[in-house]
Amino acid sequence: MEDEQIMRQVRDGEVNRLEVLFDRHHCALLHYFLHLTGSRATSEDLVQEAFFRVLKYRRSYQTENTFRAWLFQIGRNAYLDHLGRRKNEVAWPAEAPEAASPDAAPDRLMEEKQETALLRQALAGLPPEKREVLVMSRFLDLKYEEIAAALQCEVGTVKVRVYRALHELGDRFFALRGEPLS
Amino acid sequence: MNCENIRQQLPECLAGRLGESARERLIEHLEGCSGCRGELAHLGIVWRGMEALKLEAEPDPAMKERFQATLAAFESGLEQGRLAAVALPAPSRQVPRWAWQLAAGLGVLAIGLAAGRGLAPRPSVTPEIAQLQGQVQSLHQLVALSLMQQQQSPASRIEGVTYAYRMTQPDPQVEEALLYAAGHDPNVNVRLSAVDALDRYAADPNVRRALAATLAAQDSPLAQVALIDLVVKSKDRDCAPALRRLASRPEADEAVRQRAQWAIDQLGIEGESR
Repeated sequence: MEDEQIMRQVRDGEVNRLEVLFDRHHCALLHYFLHLTGSRATSEDLVQEAFFRVLKYRRSYQTENTFRAWLFQIGRNAYLDHLGRRKNEVAWPAEAPEAASPDAAPDRLMEEKQETALLRQALAGLPPEKREVLVMSRFLDLKYEEIAAALQCEVGTVKVRVYRALHELGDRFFALRGEPLS
Repeated sequence: MNCENIRQQLPECLAGRLGESARERLIEHLEGCSGCRGELAHLGIVWRGMEALKLEAEPDPAMKERFQATLAAFESGLEQGRLAAVALPAPSRQVPRWAWQLAAGLGVLAIGLAAGRGLAPRPSVTPEIAQLQGQVQSLHQLVALSLMQQQQSPASRIEGVTYAYRMTQPDPQVEEALLYAAGHDPNVNVRLSAVDALDRYAADPNVRRALAATLAAQDSPLAQVALIDLVVKSKDRDCAPALRRLASRPEADEAVRQRAQWAIDQLGIEGESR
């Protein structure tokens, strides 16, 4: 059964059906918050808060957007409220996932690690709104239409924002490598 | 198509999401534009490099348990609300204490959110905040009514009274539940808490009449003194007969008799006919 059909059931009173949607989407939502906050505990709390808001606002669900877009819109609002409460600098995960292949040469491994560290540093240095749109597009594989619904803007605006965010990430990354792009 | 339009399509191209005709136009442009080819090469390095930044974190199974507890508490709250809307006191399903605590915690969290946003420099309360406040109010009402049910423990009933106390707007169902608790709860501490929480409702004539009846029927000296204080605070002269009876009742506790006489003096009803 599709997400939207299940959410209609939730909206119409079968609130326990939300468990199916939680199973399907809480992992992506967790990764979204992890990318934004860098804190596992905070991200888990935000996932709970987002799904609690889905319960509270279930009657306002409209089927014109996908459930996933609506969920990320709600999750984003929860994150913004969290930022408003904490007023903290956004941290970034300290540990890097291993990207290099296990049979790569040691010097190549070291180089890839350094590149990844620089890219992580560049991404962390992006303004939050640019980092967010890249996270949605690159890591969560959201369609532009879904990102537009979550950010409550036009699809064309998303297209421009993603490009500019990626371009600025490149600027920062190559500058860190000592090779300014533009 | 100019370079700016082409470059805005590069992320979609790198993600493999570009439609066939758009991709053909892009390739055609790239063949004749070294600047855009260079941009694609640089962005491609970044885009591919980001693959290593993808998080592989697996959700903790406790997250699911926590969500299920929230869902159970929410469903119970809805059920309790339906029952409470029919009559008070109403029978209730036995809800685990931890589930209500979780619902209460989420309620407090919602208040925190509303308060946090309310502190922002905005010209007025937005509809979104007003809606959130309304939902927090409803949540407090549900939790208060549910916890004040007689099947709950005395500690839970006091917790329910506390929730009623926190409500920003008076509520008829909560008012009725508090009056019942003040007059009939078997635990005197619950009665005392309910009397305190009734302070905000004391301007209502119906509540004053009910307080007079409660004062007359009350058998706990502590609750009697608390009710007398509430009567004085709300300047409720309708309670004069009940106060006089208490002040002159030989079997009443000495402290209660004295407090009742004090209330008579405070309200200036000494010289009135008995």
